Amino acid sequence: MIDRLTAALARSRADYTEIRVERTWSTAVTFRGRRLESATASEDQGGFVRALHAGGGWGVASFTSLDRLEAMVARAGELSRAVPVDPPIRLADVSPHQADALLDLDGDVRGVPIAEKKRLLEAYNGAMLGVSDRIVDTLAVYRDEVTEYWYVNSQGTILHELRPDVTLSGTAVARRDGTIEKGLESIGMRRGWRSVQDKAAGFREVAERAVQLLDAPMVKGGTYPVILDPELAGVFIHEAFGHLSEADFVYENPQAREMMTLGRRFGKPVLNVGDNGAAPGLRGTLPFDDEGTPTGDTELIKEGILVGRLHSRETAAAMGERPTGNGRAISFRHQPIVRMTNTYIAAAPGGGSFEDLIRDVKLGVHACGAFGGQTVLENFSFTAAYGRMIRDGQVAELVKDVVLAGNLFQTLDRIDHIGGDFRWNQMGGGCGKAGQFPLPVTEGAPHVRIEEALVGGDVGS
Amino acid sequence: MIAQLIATARRRADGGADALWRRFERTTVAFEWGRLKSAGTTEEAGTNLRVRHRGRVGVAGTTAVGGNDVGRQHAAPLLDRALASAKLGEELDLEFPAPAPVASLATFFDRAANASLDQLIDTGRSLLDRLARDGCRINVTIERETTATRVANSAGASGEYRATGFGVSADVWRIAGDDVLVVSDAFEGADFPSDDALAALVTSINGRLDHALRVVAPPEGALPVVFTPAGLSALMLPLTQGLSGKAVLQGISPLEAKVGEQLFDARFSLRDDPLRVGRTASRPVDDECVPSRTTCLVERGVVQRFIYDLETAARAKTGSTGNGQRGIFGKPVPGYTNIVLNDVGAQHAAPLPLGGGLLREVKDGLLVDELIGVGQGNVTGGAFSHPVALAYRVERGEITGRVKDAAVAGNAYELWKRVGGFGNDARWSGSRWAPSVLFEGVSVVRR
Repeated sequence: MIDRLTAALARSRADYTEIRVERTWSTAVTFRGRRLESATASEDQGGFVRALHAGGGWGVASFTSLDRLEAMVARAGELSRAVPVDPPIRLADVSPHQADALLDLDGDVRGVPIAEKKRLLEAYNGAMLGVSDRIVDTLAVYRDEVTEYWYVNSQGTILHELRPDVTLSGTAVARRDGTIEKGLESIGMRRGWRSVQDKAAGFREVAERAVQLLDAPMVKGGTYPVILDPELAGVFIHEAFGHLSEADFVYENPQAREMMTLGRRFGKPVLNVGDNGAAPGLRGTLPFDDEGTPTGDTELIKEGILVGRLHSRETAAAMGERPTGNGRAISFRHQPIVRMTNTYIAAAPGGGSFEDLIRDVKLGVHACGAFGGQTVLENFSFTAAYGRMIRDGQVAELVKDVVLAGNLFQTLDRIDHIGGDFRWNQMGGGCGKAGQFPLPVTEGAPHVRIEEALVGGDVGS
Repeated sequence: MIAQLIATARRRADGGADALWRRFERTTVAFEWGRLKSAGTTEEAGTNLRVRHRGRVGVAGTTAVGGNDVGRQHAAPLLDRALASAKLGEELDLEFPAPAPVASLATFFDRAANASLDQLIDTGRSLLDRLARDGCRINVTIERETTATRVANSAGASGEYRATGFGVSADVWRIAGDDVLVVSDAFEGADFPSDDALAALVTSINGRLDHALRVVAPPEGALPVVFTPAGLSALMLPLTQGLSGKAVLQGISPLEAKVGEQLFDARFSLRDDPLRVGRTASRPVDDECVPSRTTCLVERGVVQRFIYDLETAARAKTGSTGNGQRGIFGKPVPGYTNIVLNDVGAQHAAPLPLGGGLLREVKDGLLVDELIGVGQGNVTGGAFSHPVALAYRVERGEITGRVKDAAVAGNAYELWKRVGGFGNDARWSGSRWAPSVLFEGVSVVRR
């Protein structure tokens, strides 16, 4: 394959050309209630070419028929020539790499019969259903894939990788009369079959909580000190801050650039945020991004001050900064764009435990887990899976419908305590941007305290 | 040939088979922050096969197909995988539909199919010129797609059509200090957009931008709120989810067992219409060989019917409504085509003022164009609570400015019971046709 790709590169008349080819084997099993909804195996393959002529824009081509490789290289070159761009696109220098990176498959999922995958999922689904007859419905999904990946560019980079991914998710729906509550479990690893064994406890726990939520009151809307658990804190930093640190948002937009000026204070000195595409064993981890740039740990906020951002080769060149290895594409169907990898809020040295964070809270909310989150620019809204009131420094009753809404800048500035209990959230799902979803990413954080945040619940009543 | 695949499958699967083959080509031109940035092309083809064997159903998909159809060498592994999937599959009385007459429907438009790269670039440039304003940055994407679809089953039914699609989207960004404002709109249709359609896009964005420049304090309380055709999503989603046969089968639809009941305002009707000429969701036949037809979901406030594909219909012991949708991978699912709310109003060449004439009824309230977080949480329950992304304050019938830091909440099922009024500004937003709608007593909170 490499020979075929380098031969196609050699025929390109563009000043810069890169080719990616991917072949993905995947299986998916779904249970809904006691019913096996589907068990399928798929094979997906295709290629992507991106070309740049001096003075031209990007010419890109993607295709599923590899017979078309040479024609598509030529077509990408023509497209680049057809779109004059001024000032011209430049790429930051990255030294050429040749690597054969076969990640640890940890029990290659391709060797496991689909019937065995069904049995595993059936057990986890059964763990949810077995909790109570209040659990009226479940959805349990197992997905795995292994992608064989080839990348070459005209500057001499040649990569060959095997990229595994395995995810499990469970939704338990509890119902009593008209009241419906749910619990979500999600597990995701860039590993293989061995990594998803013995996970029944997590599925049982979310189903139990869904049942408990039937009796829980809605949180009373208002402003509280809020302690985010590591899962919600991770989702928060990814959604509310991470996307603004992607340089494609700012590099050609002077006003956005001003808003995200390096050196601007974003929070108190306790706040440290980064993105680490090289952290071992996580879903966002790869040796190289989809432009052949090595990944690494990028500091974004240091002691409350904005110190860095995430780059592709193009945005790095445009801003005179270093490429960070964040040019990623979800598949051969897409161009690499600036994306996060594993984004984190760092543990505060001596940050202490959850109990330390709530000790002086008279009335507050412990917001746990995430049902979802969306950011529209500087405004965000997150739905926690559940919450617990904190009264006089102690954890009190379970509450539901905990929705956090706010302004990013105000909220980051109100983070006043960060715990020492850092944890990566090894979840499934993924990040969406510009029509590319789901991209495997991970988030991590310790418990994080916001001195004051708006909690919606029974808004208006 | 897909027919050959079905013939082979039939010999090995005793309960028959159906398949979909689809090929598409897309050309995209992107202007980023006001600059032409890239041009791209995508060619993709794949096949999805479903078999029924010993009473059990299995599916498999592949993009490893030849250039023009299912390559013969790829048919055997695809069939093997489908049969392996069926071995685990659950028993299902799935019957593949017999041949039936198919409506003729124009889905392929030469002007869109033959548009040159330069025409796409020119369309983008002219849009950028017309949207340009000081202190703003603009992204524009132009997309043209042509697809060819073939479906067939072992009962002898088949369908084949070509289609075109054209998309133009623009978003205008204004960042002033920490205030970020984005106003966007898009044209989506099967044919190349007319000059009028592009002019309407420009007027729509400029009109909403003009009103947004001034920021005012939000009101608070149970207030009249007008949702624009785009802003209506939070109120539509619980209905469309609840009207899906899949939700009914799962027992999570509050509309289950409500067919024939007057649940909503008597001026409210809703249908799924795959036969609209010029829409990208339109097609003569669905992805399971069932001929397309219009499905009346709600008529004058009375719930009429849920949508089904073959599998959900078999489970519910009813017929498919022709809403089977399938991709290359995974199994078919019930999906909507064009959702039409109150089938009145022409497609307006010149867009009407914001609010579709409903604002004059509003003493103090909101006009909501976009909310944050729609689709999160327990959608089918009907309750929603969302911060606004783009909304305006309305005082004594006039827009007085944009509001930030406000949230709206309510229960969609309750609100549709007593609608304050329907606007005269019905338009397409993606594949939904709807006017602005006024609801009374929506809870608005500041934060």
